[in-house]
Amino acid sequence: MAGRAVFRQEFPVKGGDFAKAGAAACRIKELLKEMGIDVRTVRRAAIASYEAEMNVIMYAREGRMKLAVKPGEIRITVIDKGPGIADVGLAMTEGYSTATAEMRELGFGAGMGLPNIRKSCDAFRIDSELGRGTHLEITIHMNGHNT
Amino acid sequence: MNKKHLHAIHITQDKCIGCVHCMAACPTKAIRVRDGKARIIDERCIDCGECLRVCPHDAVHTHTTSFAALDAFEYKVAIPSTVIYGQFGSATLPNEILSALRMVGFDEVYDPSAICELNTAAIEEYLHEHIHPRPFITATCPVVVRLIQHRYPVLCGQILPIEPPREIAAKILRAILPRALNLPPEKIGIIHLTPCAAKMVSINHPASLKKSYLDGAISIRDIYPEVINALRKSPDDALMRHLFPETLFSGVGMGWSLSGGETRGLKSHRAVAVSGIQDTMRVLDQVEAGLLQDIDLLECSACPDGCVGGPLQVENRFLAKSRILELVAASGDRAVVDQKDVSRLYHRNFLSFDHPVTPVETPPLDADPARAILKAQRREKLFQKLPRTDCGVCGAPDCRTLADDIVRGTARLADCPFVKGRKEKR
Repeated sequence: MAGRAVFRQEFPVKGGDFAKAGAAACRIKELLKEMGIDVRTVRRAAIASYEAEMNVIMYAREGRMKLAVKPGEIRITVIDKGPGIADVGLAMTEGYSTATAEMRELGFGAGMGLPNIRKSCDAFRIDSELGRGTHLEITIHMNGHNT
Repeated sequence: MNKKHLHAIHITQDKCIGCVHCMAACPTKAIRVRDGKARIIDERCIDCGECLRVCPHDAVHTHTTSFAALDAFEYKVAIPSTVIYGQFGSATLPNEILSALRMVGFDEVYDPSAICELNTAAIEEYLHEHIHPRPFITATCPVVVRLIQHRYPVLCGQILPIEPPREIAAKILRAILPRALNLPPEKIGIIHLTPCAAKMVSINHPASLKKSYLDGAISIRDIYPEVINALRKSPDDALMRHLFPETLFSGVGMGWSLSGGETRGLKSHRAVAVSGIQDTMRVLDQVEAGLLQDIDLLECSACPDGCVGGPLQVENRFLAKSRILELVAASGDRAVVDQKDVSRLYHRNFLSFDHPVTPVETPPLDADPARAILKAQRREKLFQKLPRTDCGVCGAPDCRTLADDIVRGTARLADCPFVKGRKEKR
């Protein structure tokens, strides 16, 4: 019974909603802390989910963040409807950004979003379709290599 | 140890009528109303004093040092917070206030502004020597330190390990006074005068010292009437202090009690100042998510506008702030501390923590990870059943917290009157 324990929750994220930036990531972090997960693992999840949430807010029309927690593993799936990423390899390069001048003015768009997510997690999958959207899957092992 | 005074804040049961003001205001959700009385959950309280501010029935009190307790000491020393300079209107100079405090019964009173300046200089030196991590967070506000221990344990290592001015001042005096006065150390009482409820906790249970260098804290609220009396009784003394000021105040340290005051004196580092408990939590959430790494130092004070907004001060905080800004303008950027002295003390580790601040573990939903996940599931289902109006009638501050209490076994679904009502209708 306990072996099948999975906690799932979904958080909607609205594109362009900078006022609520970080709200979903913050809630995810709180939930993980309450489940007694090691604080360093929680921090990795916090950093990854914050960056992922910001990507939706900055570039997409709308998206959903899905949190799934089972013993030993945290998975955060982010699905958005938006422009998609033309060159995923390029987007994974530190410092590469398509952020507008306006976003940079606000302190975003340093080109560290996806690289930071990859650094914080243990497994990372990204599928993107131009004009449709992006599907991002982040897996963090409790006591994983980064912890 | 001193279990009884684990916290500075307590609720006087006779005065409490069981309304929900304190419970709603508590940032760590540490209050519940049970059997018509508010109760504090010790493990969650960080002594911020928000409950004290909002209680309409004067039922929230603080354990601070009483005057009578001072009689235990042969020689009594006061180190006031600079907030005290903003309490008595613009005609009263800081030197008069220090002098009035001597008349009230202290053998000696030391202005803290020079030590505040010293602290800023030591922080600057520390930031030079330590490039990582960023941002560091100042350790001055005991509420912020406790907030980090409880809610942001991973940030404990980002607390900048230099003791705040009140402790440094007391440590210096403790090193000097016994010899200068030829008195045994235990006969000398060093007391902090403060607008803050949490200082007493940081003295009884320091987060970064084996033992505090202070013997107690008297609230500005308690000492205010005595000082007013002393000031009234001695107009000649006031004139003398005007003509022959005896303390040279530090312009760098004078504004320390205002938000931004701690970091104003930094010469080559980027600092951000945050004040108020809710805004502090918002910014610490961002730091935890890896933001603000381009900032060297984050100054956080739990009270609005800094210590000047402390719950145990008397003057309207906007007037106090305006008065202190006048004093800051009058003393300019005057530095009274020699950088070489700071460097010497700094490199002797005289200004450092005894030990790092360590996390205080908040009990998870369950010690077993799988069961904790199941409880989180169940809690979400319970929450969906609740009205989400956060009325507080059940005795918990909001519906989410009630759901949490239920899965932790400290409340029942039946505590919510609206869930019961729906069932009865069916």
